[in-house]
Amino acid sequence: MRSLARAAFSSFRVSIRLRAVSPWAYLSWLLFPLLFATVGLFVLSRPGATATHLTYGFLGGGLIGYWGFAYLDAGNGIQDERWNGTLEQIFAAPTPLLVILLGKICGSLLFGILSFVPTMALAYFGFHALLPHFDAAPFGISFAVLTFSFMSIGLTLTPLFALWRWAFSMLNGFELGVYVLCGFMFPVTVLAPWAQGVSGLLAPTWATRALYASTTAEGPHDFALWWLAAIGLSVAYLVCAYFLYRLVDSRARVSGELALA
Amino acid sequence: MERIHSHPANPEREYNQPSSMAAPIAPAIELAGLRKKYVTRRGTFRRTKVENLALAGLDLAIQRGELFGLLGPNGAGKTTATKILTTLLLPDSGTARVLGLDVVKETDALRRRIGFVFGGERGLYWRLSGIDNLRYFADLYRIPPEISRRRIGELLERLGLADRKHDRVELYSRGMKQRLHLARGLLNDPEVLFLDEPTIGLDPVGARELRLMVRELANAGKTIFLTTHYMFEADAICDRIAVIKKGAIVAEGTPSSIKRVVEHQGVVEFEVVAIPADRLAQLRGLPGVGSVAVADHELGQVVTVHCARPADVTTQLGVILEGYALQKVSSREPTLEDAYIRLIGDST
Repeated sequence: MRSLARAAFSSFRVSIRLRAVSPWAYLSWLLFPLLFATVGLFVLSRPGATATHLTYGFLGGGLIGYWGFAYLDAGNGIQDERWNGTLEQIFAAPTPLLVILLGKICGSLLFGILSFVPTMALAYFGFHALLPHFDAAPFGISFAVLTFSFMSIGLTLTPLFALWRWAFSMLNGFELGVYVLCGFMFPVTVLAPWAQGVSGLLAPTWATRALYASTTAEGPHDFALWWLAAIGLSVAYLVCAYFLYRLVDSRARVSGELALA
Repeated sequence: MERIHSHPANPEREYNQPSSMAAPIAPAIELAGLRKKYVTRRGTFRRTKVENLALAGLDLAIQRGELFGLLGPNGAGKTTATKILTTLLLPDSGTARVLGLDVVKETDALRRRIGFVFGGERGLYWRLSGIDNLRYFADLYRIPPEISRRRIGELLERLGLADRKHDRVELYSRGMKQRLHLARGLLNDPEVLFLDEPTIGLDPVGARELRLMVRELANAGKTIFLTTHYMFEADAICDRIAVIKKGAIVAEGTPSSIKRVVEHQGVVEFEVVAIPADRLAQLRGLPGVGSVAVADHELGQVVTVHCARPADVTTQLGVILEGYALQKVSSREPTLEDAYIRLIGDST
């Protein structure tokens, strides 16, 4: 067990090191979230905007950056491994791929959290946005639940990237869809009823709802319910992930898709 | 198939051979009827399924402590065989056992006991230092830290990378990268080491150094499965070799026994520009000609003729290739490469 924990931590450390020297990573956590945050804050700070609107501007850019990094980096990470020729090397190591990728995804999540630094600075200094009803405890728990939900989605989708080279491009659109469906920049209540149904199946929707509720005075504050919904859905994703990793173990060895050729 | 059975050439590993008194030791590697095909799709709109047979029923037995070479041209199935043996691919049928463990079912136990090195520059994290690459893989191989620290230090020293261990891999020469690959493959002190074309792309000095290291590892008792298409490499270091063609073994034995395939034969070589197919056919039709191989060289071609009576062929050359400027016509004794070409067949 200790050797598995060491392998996961080593994977986490390598993930951080590789991101730290990757120009793409800086675009992902610094530039792209700033662009989203700027547009969002301009729209949400129009005359007549309430404090709640600005809250979405304050946190939304960071959330988009966090999700984008966590999700895209998981996929990119696998593609990079394939291009580097290291995907086969890590697959053939006596550590389960799930453990190695867990470390990598945790590294991506840590980098993704950095997205909040530039976006919150922009909101505070550029638009004088604040979180007037910030409640630290539910905010911290909601953020942890959100992180768990991102990790679960990352762990569930990463095996697909390992299995099929085309999966990454096919699932690229999922990144943008989640911005909207999970209510990162505006409440999901503004979406069409059918879209809200889809939102309900996504764990980050409930964690995001709790996160925003912990910073505003308006609306219900059913934190426990929302956290449970997010955790429950995340666990369901992880169950799927378990079977997907078993599929990778057999299918990838049939098709030889771990290598480029 | 020309199966030329022999005993391992290296007497230093006699202790690994089963004796009549001791219980028989299972071969380090055992393949029986191993088949593998790849299914790909061709076309943009009307996609059609294309099946490529990579292994067509491979049978092999490699004893513990042997340095075994699998030779074959590109696409013969060498890498597929290596990937099946290193648990990266599943065979369609047949069985493969390494150290007595089934490569399909007993992967966890097997992965701890084998190492592999694929040729080329890929397979390393270029933006990490050499030592960081090794530390990472040592953790993935679940080697206790106190052992991995010592072993990494020893490997870096032994492979001449200690002075550059903190440099990023992207700054390494190709030879250094290949040595780092070898260090990675040896991290878990494997009982069997698989080397898939390890000297590909290396300069002659680097390739020679690597071959010496491989030979040293075999002398130290490791079983080594080496694939290559460099004949001299197999001739220089392997105890036993097998020649693979279109996924099947066509010959197996010691390098010297394989060379006997072209015993009592000679080789005529010459250079020519734009030799037409009909003249090559005439050459092939000469009495005593075994094979004719053509390789591009600068603006012309080098033609290699394997034959029973080189003097007769040399005489006939002037007739068949009248009007063509023949250069550097020579006759020589056959090498392992000639035996290989004979086994693999004519190439044009």
